[in-house]
This record gives sequence, structure tokens and C-alpha cells, in this order.
Amino acid sequence: MTVAAGLGYALLALGPSLSLFVSVISKKPFLILTVLSSTLLWLMSLIVLSGLWRAFLPLKSTTYWPYGILIITSVGFQEGLRILFWKVYKQGAVVVLMMWKVVMMWKVEMMRWKDDMVALITWRLEDILDAFADRVSKPRLFLTDKMQIALAGGLGHGVAHAVFFCLSLLTPAFGPATFYVDRCSKIPFFLVSAIIALGFVTIHTFSMVIAFNGYAEGKKIDQIFVPIVHLLAGMMTLINLASGGCIVGIPLLYFMATLTLLYCGRMVLRRITENQRRPVGT
Amino acid sequence: MDENRKPTSVLESLGEEIIRIIAPVSTCMFLVVLLVSILNNSSSSTLTTIATIVYDENTSDSIWTKFTGALLYSLAFVAVVTVVTFILVFLFYIRCTRFLKIYMGFSACVVLGFMGGEVALFLIRDFSFPIDCFTFLVILFNFTVVGVMSIFISNMPILIRQGYMVVIGILTAYWFTFLPEWTTWVLLVAMALYDIAAVLLPGGPLRLLVELAMSRDEDIPALVYEARPVTYQDSGPRRGVVERRLWREKRAVGGAMSENSNSESNSSQNPNFISDSHSTPGTFLSVGSGQNETRLVIAEEGRLLEEGVPELTAPLIERQVERDGAWRDGQEEAASSESWVEGIGLGSSGAIKLGLGDFIFYSVLVGRAAMYDFMTVYACYLAIIAGLGITLMLLAVYQKALPALPVSVLLGVLFYFLTRFLLEVFVVQCSVNLLMF
Repeated sequence: MTVAAGLGYALLALGPSLSLFVSVISKKPFLILTVLSSTLLWLMSLIVLSGLWRAFLPLKSTTYWPYGILIITSVGFQEGLRILFWKVYKQGAVVVLMMWKVVMMWKVEMMRWKDDMVALITWRLEDILDAFADRVSKPRLFLTDKMQIALAGGLGHGVAHAVFFCLSLLTPAFGPATFYVDRCSKIPFFLVSAIIALGFVTIHTFSMVIAFNGYAEGKKIDQIFVPIVHLLAGMMTLINLASGGCIVGIPLLYFMATLTLLYCGRMVLRRITENQRRPVGT
Repeated sequence: MDENRKPTSVLESLGEEIIRIIAPVSTCMFLVVLLVSILNNSSSSTLTTIATIVYDENTSDSIWTKFTGALLYSLAFVAVVTVVTFILVFLFYIRCTRFLKIYMGFSACVVLGFMGGEVALFLIRDFSFPIDCFTFLVILFNFTVVGVMSIFISNMPILIRQGYMVVIGILTAYWFTFLPEWTTWVLLVAMALYDIAAVLLPGGPLRLLVELAMSRDEDIPALVYEARPVTYQDSGPRRGVVERRLWREKRAVGGAMSENSNSESNSSQNPNFISDSHSTPGTFLSVGSGQNETRLVIAEEGRLLEEGVPELTAPLIERQVERDGAWRDGQEEAASSESWVEGIGLGSSGAIKLGLGDFIFYSVLVGRAAMYDFMTVYACYLAIIAGLGITLMLLAVYQKALPALPVSVLLGVLFYFLTRFLLEVFVVQCSVNLLMF
């Protein structure tokens, strides 16, 4: 409608992430890099998905099941990427390892890596960070640090979602008029997409924390919780396909978001209190 | 709570140098996108008349004509740039640095005065900003003169110098966005390929330039953006700069300087040792080199700072004190190994320099993407930042001047076309049906 309205929609979708960014992430450069790389990862997953689905688009708007398959494949792919993100962070990317070893064999001055060889051979980011911390005589990564890295990763995912599903379509909102969709004709399209984006940002941000903690502790329930919530949230947007469905779909989405938030908060609280009861040395 | 007394984590300062380069690049790109979207640059300008010397793109031309025309234009442009760079290398070789400096100042003056003036006029016209021409001229004149001064005078506060570098990059990039579309894309790819050739091939002009500069221990005469290095100690910034002759000087007066254990953060002294920037935009990336000398200097200063650590007054100094531990360890390995963290590229002590040409071409890419849609802007921005990160990692690994254009530009072009043809349809289809995941 105007620049003010356009900015308003943008802030509606991204306001909490912006405040999270400014207060927590902007202070530590490594977290900014984590946000950027996880945003890039999400974008790449989205491009791959759109490449896969390009031949089938545009879908007919009457039937529901193609959309259902779309959602399921997309969510499945992205959850797979989340696990990959974790593995790169924690375990090993053998391909990268092989390439790295080849590069290293070429250059003699790579022998300076000999002290870090163990960490590098498995490209364990966490180990690299810990080895670096040992070098600079600093304590290893705290629990809160690891959670902050997970939070930054989740924030990257959330911001990517908001940017590509909401912000990039906001350009007409800066003009003189607005846009309504048939299925949800009570409020402007931009407002609806901003509200949905906000819900998804919350889900993405905090489910990454839950997921990383689940993988670290090896708790199955945490690991299962995240893909299920993601899938359910995606499926709930299918309700929006029905005429007037967004009145039901969006509150349900926010229910999932609140659930994620509470679960994450409870889990973090539990881990921090456990950590404090234990003597220092994570 | 506990957190206040906890020793600071390694996460506090890791990756800072990368952020210090990414921030100005992002600012430049953001402002160019803003300018492109605010101003309607469909009107002809001086640059298109230069472009039409070779080929005048018409929207009604066939794809093949457009493509060949764009290719011809890019080849002509790359040829001109090569010739000019060789002339620059030759002049540097015969030590005509004075002429180069004057040329630098002249080009900055033209960019800031004329191009900046025209952009300002566009803005004034579009927003009906009430200003009379005398005030405008006075402001423009002052702006230009301070900009030129920031290039010549080394005592300028580094923020002003960095700011003017970014402004010059923005203005030049904005004018490049006037080129027709096909020409822009082919030109970007051509420049990326030229950059690889110029920096990595043994006969490449930029490689010759870097080698000459390193062998003479002089600055490279080019407009470069220099990120303020992360200071480990108060004399850190001097160490971080690519001025090895100053490092040698410092070692000679090492005794006098190291006693100054309570020297506060003196950002005003930094620019003393920042290189004067000159001539044409160099499209390469280099880190403060001279590893062995750096090692020894660090060892001396590290030892002496252990004795008296000044009271922490500013975050800058706090970081320096924390890093003390780093340098204490570094001493033992002083003779043998290279920097342990520079291998990762996340803790490099050198100042990272990025040629202004890189700023310009990144911003041209993003600006041209902005002319299509904002989704392409976000995708290209992420691609360029990823490319820049990869280049910085490679820089830390290879420790020599690397071309900063190819990875970012090729990734950016790839992401632009992928987004435009694949992603947009997918996302619009999903969003319009309020279907998100």
C-alpha cells in the first residue's frame, strides 16, 4: 500500500528474528557466519526442490493431493539437510575430507596443519573449534555456545524462509495498492503471508536447537519431534487451500509454533540446570 | 550470574576478519540495490554511449544478435582493461608512482564529483528536494575534496577512508547498471575469467603487479578497501598492514615501543601505516604477508606485554588482552610453524584487502538482479557472500594474492539464473496458495 505498509509487513515477519540477531548473534562474528551459511543451505535446498518440481508446475488448484506430495517431499528433503548440517558440524563429511587431503598433499606448507590433523581429518567443526580454543588457552565450547550455534543455524533457516516466501513477494506492497487472495479474502495477501512466515520462523529457529540437542544427547524423542512438527506445520498449511481455510490453518500453525517454543525452552532449561549441577568441565 | 565471571569463550572473536570484509561489501550491495530500485534508470546516459560504440542492444533483436553483441562488448572491455593494467604495471615498474598517485586522485575526483553529482541530481529530481544550485555545488565540492584527500593523506581516520571507498564503489557500480542486460551478464563472466587469468597466470598483469610490490616492499598502487585488522595489541594494527618495511622499522625500535605497555587503543595512529591507495581498481585479494617477520615481531611484543596489562578500558583492548594467551603460545612455535589459525582463515592477523573492482562487480551483479526482482537479489547476495567466504578460506590456505571475482561472480550468475527460472515459479505457486513449509 505504501512504503510504511511494506516495511510493516517485512517487520511483522522478521521483527523477532531481527531482535534476536541484534541481541545475541551480532555480538559474535562466528554466529553471523553460521546464520549466513545456514541461510545459504536452505536456499540451495529450495532451489533443488524447485528444480525437481518445475516440470509439474503450475499445479491445478482444485485437487489437494499434489500439494500434499509437494509438502511431504519438501519437508523430507529439508529435514535430511538438517541432519547433514548436524553431521558436518559434529561428525564428518568424507568427501570434503578427501578433497582436503588431496589439497594438503600438494602443498608442503600444509604441514603446519600437523597439529590439527586429527581434527581436520574428520572435518569436525566442533573439534576444530575446541582445538582452536585449546591453542588460545581458552575454555572449550560451552554448552551455551553450542546452543547458540544451533540457534544461529535455526535462525538462518527461519530467515531464509521468511525472505523467500514472504519478503521477496512484498515488492508490490510498496506501491499504492494491495492484493487479496480468493481463498483468504478477509485480509490482504501480504499480511497473511507475513503472519504465516512469522510462525514458520519460530518453528525453524527453535527446532534447530531441539534437533542439535537431540543429536548431541542421543535422545530419540527430540530427534523425532522436529521432523514431525515440521511436517505437521507444512500439512496444516494445506488447510489454507480450502476457501476460508486460513482462519483455521493459521491458529493451528501458531499452536505448533508455541509448542516448539515451549518444548525448546523446557529442554534448554533442563540442560542448563543439569550442567550447573555438574562440576565445571562440559 | 555465572556468565559474568566465566572466561570469555572462543566464540567471541572467531571469524571477525571475515565479518569486517563482509559488512562493507553488504553495505555497498544494499545501497546499490536501493539506488537501482529508487531511481528509474531507463534513461540513456554517458555510459551507454560508450557501450554503443561496439554494440547497441535493442530489445527487439534476436537472442543470437544480443548474445554476440554482448560478447563483442565484453571482449572489447576486457581488452581495454588488460592494456590499461599492463600500462599500470609498466609505470609501476619504472617507479612512476607519483603519476599513479595523481591518477588515483583524479579518478576519485571524477567519480565522486561527476558521477556522484549526477546521482545526487537524479535523487533531487525524483524526490523534489528543495536545494539551490550554489549550496549543492558547495556541498558537492567539499564532498569530493574530502574524498580525494582521504586517498592521498594517510592520517585520515580509517572510517572516512573506508566510507569513501564504499561510496566510490557504489557510484561506479550504479553507473555500470546502465549497461543493457545481456551485456552486463556476459561482461561479468568475462571479467571473472579475466581475473583468474590476470592473477594466477605467470604472465598476468595483476600477478606481476603483486610480485613487483612484494619484492620492493611497496604498496600496490590501486584503490583497495582495507578492513581494519583485529588488533591483538596496541601496536597490532601496524603489524597487520602489508607494509613490511614498517615492520622492520618496528623491530629496530622494538625496545622503545614495547615498554609502552599502557598505550591505549590508538585508532588515530592506525592510518599512519595504512597504505596510500592509488590508481585503477585492482581485482584481487591479498592478506598481510611477510609471515616470518610477523612471527618474530609478535614474539617480542607478546613477551613484553605479559608483564603489565593495562586496565581494560575499551572492548578493543579487552580483546587484545584475551589474545595475549594466543601470542604466548605462538611464541613457542615462532620459529617453526606458520600461524595456526590463519590456516582456518578465521584468526588471521593480517589486514584483509579487497580491491575496489570486486566491490564494483559484486554490486553490479546484485544491482542487475534487482532490476528483475528482489528474490534474485537475495539469492545473488547469498551466493556472493558464500563465494567471498570461500575465497577468504582459500586465501588463508594459499597465503598469496587470489582473484576475488571468479568464485563469487560465477556463483552469483548461476544462482541468478536458477532463481529466475526455477525458484520463482515454485515459490510464487506455493505462496499464492498460502502453502508454506
